Amino acid sequence: MTRLLDGALEIEQVVFDEETIKARVKALAAQIEEDYRGESVIMIGVIRGALYFLTDLTRELDMPVEIDLIGFGSIPNTTNKTGVVNITKDIATDIEGRHVIVVEDVIRTGLTTAYIMSYLEERKPASIALCSMLVNPDRMLMTIPVKYTGFEINDNWLAGYGMDVHEIGRNIPYIVKLSRKE
Amino acid sequence: MAIITISRQSGSLGDEIAAYISSKLGCEIISRQYALDHFFGELSEGTVERLNESAKFFVGNIPGQDITFRDKLVNEIRMKASSSENLVILGLGGCVILRGYPKAVHVRVTAEEHSRIAATASKYGIGTEDAREVVAIGDRKHKKFVTTVFGAELTSPELFDITVNTDRMSVEEAGAGIVELARKHDLRMGITDSTKKSMASDHQKRIVAFKNPTEEEFARVLDMYNIEWMYEPKTFPVEWDAEGNVTSALSPDFYLPKFNLYLELTTMEQKYVTRKNKKVRLVRELYPGTNVRIVYKKDFTVLAERLEQFGYAGEEAS
Repeated sequence: MTRLLDGALEIEQVVFDEETIKARVKALAAQIEEDYRGESVIMIGVIRGALYFLTDLTRELDMPVEIDLIGFGSIPNTTNKTGVVNITKDIATDIEGRHVIVVEDVIRTGLTTAYIMSYLEERKPASIALCSMLVNPDRMLMTIPVKYTGFEINDNWLAGYGMDVHEIGRNIPYIVKLSRKE
Repeated sequence: MAIITISRQSGSLGDEIAAYISSKLGCEIISRQYALDHFFGELSEGTVERLNESAKFFVGNIPGQDITFRDKLVNEIRMKASSSENLVILGLGGCVILRGYPKAVHVRVTAEEHSRIAATASKYGIGTEDAREVVAIGDRKHKKFVTTVFGAELTSPELFDITVNTDRMSVEEAGAGIVELARKHDLRMGITDSTKKSMASDHQKRIVAFKNPTEEEFARVLDMYNIEWMYEPKTFPVEWDAEGNVTSALSPDFYLPKFNLYLELTTMEQKYVTRKNKKVRLVRELYPGTNVRIVYKKDFTVLAERLEQFGYAGEEAS
């Protein structure tokens, strides 16, 4: 066991180190360049988890890209303890008729991703694709096509490279498996 | 697909609601004028005029033919309803003509008399007394047409799936509500249709009654994400005995129309999970193209984690 971030997180192992992530991001960027050759693309990162991935991915792209961010949260519902998901940070770009790539840090059940994709589809983009650093295919409930996947994962508790545990751990430059759920 | 019949009191904004729906769905409105022009347009001008003026004329035979004007009207509207993706039928006794048509939604638009008189006065730029007369004549004509031609009573509530009072509703509110009702109804009827084409059976109930709290909680999660769901809409038989009786079947708990996905929840012991896994595998084999997935206990854990992140208002999560 190792402790990181001044002892704030106890980790079991490094799952994807910086070099591995860098190589995979480069490969994903090359694939995106190939698919969107001659087109301009809007990359929309889902905050806060996708910030580092979005940054690294777009810096690897040798093509015109616009960048925007979207965030979501929930508002409590007086008649429903789970509340209602809503957009807390909307995009500022008009995406109608444009090619959009939504960038996620991790997709587990796919519910939040499905919500965001539905929300953006209403803005009538020319196309909308999904790119996620991590995907857990065993837990995916929604049939949403992930066009670009960094790595497939299982049910381990992960942190780093944007992913957090109670807001801690996002700034670890690699992805770690936590010893236990913090 | 939405086939919507609208019957309205004069001045109740029924015409405007029909126009709104037609514009939203990008479809035609079959109105009295449309029927006269398109179904009876080849007849002499005098005949068309009489049809426009007198309901009685509809029960008479078309010159040189063995059918009545009413029969032709009914046939034409039914053909239109069968061949159209979306259609609005305004008046003409559409609710009676398409009474047995499962996909149709029958709407009655009403309003208080004083509202209808005010709306009519405003629409035609006439005084209150004139508007009162226009409203009264219109109501009489509508009632007489349906009574004379179809022997039905327009004020019978059982002719309609929904009645909209526009006293406190805008055209947009009422129109959008009707469009959504028709969309939902079409979804349900679509499931009914698709079961007829396979060995599956229609399991839809008009009232959702969850079997356990887990299902109810899961429905809440779907609501939270604004994901449309239907509860146990279909049963898929997967095993039969030698006489063809169904011995094993799966009725997935949820269907998500947008994702064309059936979800079966399980938080049970492993031996039951194994049995469910087998059923799901058989459904996939026996009903190609059917997308079924089991939601395991672990999936619930992930969802619960997600909900914890959504603990308080305005907090962004990812």
